[in-house]
Amino acid sequence: MKKNLILTLLATLSATALFATGSPPVGSAAPNVSVTDSKGKTHSLSEYKGKYVVLEWFNPDCPFVKKHYGSGNMQKLQQEFTAKGVVWLTIDSSAPGTEGNLTPEQANKTVADWKAHSTAFLLDADGQAGRAYGAKNTPHMFVVNPKGKVIYEGAIDSKATPNPADIPSSTNYVKAALDESMAGKPVSTPSSRPYGCSVKYGR
Amino acid sequence: MRAVGKLALLSCGMLLWASQPAHAQTYQDRELVQAQILANANAVVPGKPFTVGLLLRMALGWHTYWKFPGDAGIPTEVKWQLPAGWKIGELRWPIPLKLKEPGDIEIYGYHDEVLLTQEITPPLRIAGRSVKLSAEASWLVCEKICIPGGAALQLNLPVAESNAPANTELFARFDRLLPQTLPAANSARWTRAGPNLQLTLTGSNLATGPTIDFFPLPDSKVVAGHPVVESRERGKIVFRVPIETNDAKISSLDGVIVYGGAPDRHAWFISARAREGNSVAPTAPETSAAEILRFLFLGLIGGLILNLMPCVLPVISLKIFGFVQQAGQSRRRILRSGLAFTAGIFAWFIGLAILLIVLKSAGHQITWAFQFTNPYFVLAMSAVVLVFALNLFGVFEIALPQRANSRLLGWSTREGDAGSFFQGVFATILATPCTAPYLGTALGFAFTQSNLLLLLMFVAIAAGMSAPYLLLCAEPRWLRFLPKPGPWMAHVKQLMGFFLFATLIFLLSVLGAERGLEAVVWTSCFLLALSVACWIKGTWITPLAAPRSRVIALVAILLLLGVSTFYFVGAKFGASRVSVSEASNSNGWQSFSPARLESELDQGHAVFIDFTAAWCITCKFNETTVLESDAVRAAFHQRGVVKLRADWTNADPEITKMLKQFGRPGVPLYVLYPAGRTAEPIVFPELLTKSVVLDKLESAAPHVAAQ
Repeated sequence: MKKNLILTLLATLSATALFATGSPPVGSAAPNVSVTDSKGKTHSLSEYKGKYVVLEWFNPDCPFVKKHYGSGNMQKLQQEFTAKGVVWLTIDSSAPGTEGNLTPEQANKTVADWKAHSTAFLLDADGQAGRAYGAKNTPHMFVVNPKGKVIYEGAIDSKATPNPADIPSSTNYVKAALDESMAGKPVSTPSSRPYGCSVKYGR
Repeated sequence: MRAVGKLALLSCGMLLWASQPAHAQTYQDRELVQAQILANANAVVPGKPFTVGLLLRMALGWHTYWKFPGDAGIPTEVKWQLPAGWKIGELRWPIPLKLKEPGDIEIYGYHDEVLLTQEITPPLRIAGRSVKLSAEASWLVCEKICIPGGAALQLNLPVAESNAPANTELFARFDRLLPQTLPAANSARWTRAGPNLQLTLTGSNLATGPTIDFFPLPDSKVVAGHPVVESRERGKIVFRVPIETNDAKISSLDGVIVYGGAPDRHAWFISARAREGNSVAPTAPETSAAEILRFLFLGLIGGLILNLMPCVLPVISLKIFGFVQQAGQSRRRILRSGLAFTAGIFAWFIGLAILLIVLKSAGHQITWAFQFTNPYFVLAMSAVVLVFALNLFGVFEIALPQRANSRLLGWSTREGDAGSFFQGVFATILATPCTAPYLGTALGFAFTQSNLLLLLMFVAIAAGMSAPYLLLCAEPRWLRFLPKPGPWMAHVKQLMGFFLFATLIFLLSVLGAERGLEAVVWTSCFLLALSVACWIKGTWITPLAAPRSRVIALVAILLLLGVSTFYFVGAKFGASRVSVSEASNSNGWQSFSPARLESELDQGHAVFIDFTAAWCITCKFNETTVLESDAVRAAFHQRGVVKLRADWTNADPEITKMLKQFGRPGVPLYVLYPAGRTAEPIVFPELLTKSVVLDKLESAAPHVAAQ
């Protein structure tokens, strides 16, 4: 019995450690990245240990991003959880010359126009943070718990469409992960296939 | 120039298909996509199926997506609003292009134009002279940015008694791009290796030249990484697909194999479902009658060989001994005794088969010799062997009720049929742990088949095991070649008792491996009490003893057995714990675990696994004579092969799973994983020889030797 338990544990641990490509697997330590925000302040993930952190990959020209901002869905989520002490980092990894690449001024204007409520808007034009997380889509969501472990990775919700009309009938995985984890429960959907536009990395 | 040509083509197309209204998606005054629904017939004939297609024509540089879009995007959708009675088939997707974007993003989609077709079946009666079929199409079109598009489209067709093909060139062009079923000359199978799935495609038609690729079609819950060609040689290609979803149960994927370059591309559809459960052992679900017969024959041979197994020898020699005595008797009596013995063998095997079928239906992992992994079974066996041995030494006689002169295990009396029957059962029970060389393969096959076949396989083994006795009974003249009966038989009888003591030592060693030294000590205490009980019976419960002393003796026996069973077995033996033996992991052997195997393979090591158990004599024999021999040990060492030992003494479920993967119901099993996952694991025969091991090592891990 005990032997089986140890074997299972070993198998789980090694399976986790073997995912070298793609996104950091759920349960592993969130990669520590340092990115400058639209106001010139540098944010390191390590400084948010002890708090929940949401990472949201963003591109203002992407219809899937527009789906969640146009409907107010994303802002509502940001408002709800930043009020609960969650650090919400919106990250734009579009390379210079590609769609969605923003100057700090444009970024601040977008945040103001779109009434975004994230903690900071990070400009990751060199794609360093995006690549560290294997972010492939906008929006691509990650939730990190106060211990610095990834507890959710994937899509924002269960319906992979650009249609805002689908939002009310879909399950929001980010909200579910945060609610469950804050209530001390295991996250019922710890990962999903992300959907959206591709992140516009530089070559 | 090209743009002008394209425009000309577009307007030309518009003219050709002017009968069906087209929809254009524009973005910042640019036309991105033209969408249209078309049919491959010029009229609808009631009840006659035809094909409809959504034609999307994309502006230069823009693409729409395949059924599985890859790392980004979403697939095109078509929703039909059909009148009652109409039926629509599944959307058929032509082979897409694999498009790469910076940041290691791969997507599957279509440039220029694509026709997504569906079969549509009209009802047998259609009112009116024409039909108007409506569909809503939605898509995502991307260049550098993505724009969702959609259109409500219509197809207007007259209703007629006959029709002619329409849009033939267009439909034919995209039909050629639909994935085909895998040719019969090829086989594909999935294996799971840690976080990766491997697809091995074989077939003599696979040249090394043209480009080949695998496009996955994972279901929506599965996140699949980018497939790569792991290895390629003439006739064999291995693809690796990383699975990022943390679910070890994912053992296969749907997908297509894309072969050749544009414009002459072909694709084969690989179904996950059709190949499931076929992960390592390539046993096809449909088995030919010839193959079944071949395996039943192997079962027969295996049964025959069981007679020679070391653990069966005492009982078998006693049976032969019985024949010696019978030599002078009537042919009928000999035949009866032989049939009873055979019936015993059959009864045990059929009983075992039925038990296995019941366990299998209850969803248990079933295995050959599984009963030996139960310590109480081994304990009971030890008791039976001891009592039998004491009987042979003459400590006591066993009397069956109402037949005082017929001994349970006697073979010389007239009513020896029951004795012969139990001898058959007994011989077979003892044979179980000695999986004969052919038996493993035959049973491995049977366990993957239907219950009826499993039963047939056990019947075949029983027939093989009892064949010699049946032959001797049927032709008693051959008994002449055996020596004549005489006083020497009493001595041989006692000698056989010592053989049984040797068997007892083996059983106790099994218990020791399963439950540790303490369990062996308590079992021995119980056996001692049992011996005393047998002695009391032999001395005081005799036909000549006074009734009073017989009663006292009986009470003493019952008391002795009751107390010793309760205390030694119930309390002490029951409390002993499963022991984790580390002693066997000397001489460079290390404990096997699936995780350990994965990590060694990841480090590029070749790995040899010895699947063994304390009660498996064949395993012990192989280990002592081959695996621990100097030559083999040196060869393993030189080639840097990691040696893992999978100890199945206590039926570790992880090991059971591995055994099943290789289509084996039990131990022994020897597997060599070549270094760097370059090839399939190599399975060794069940009876090892030094030359077999050295040859296979040479062929599997030659390059390691150079390091």
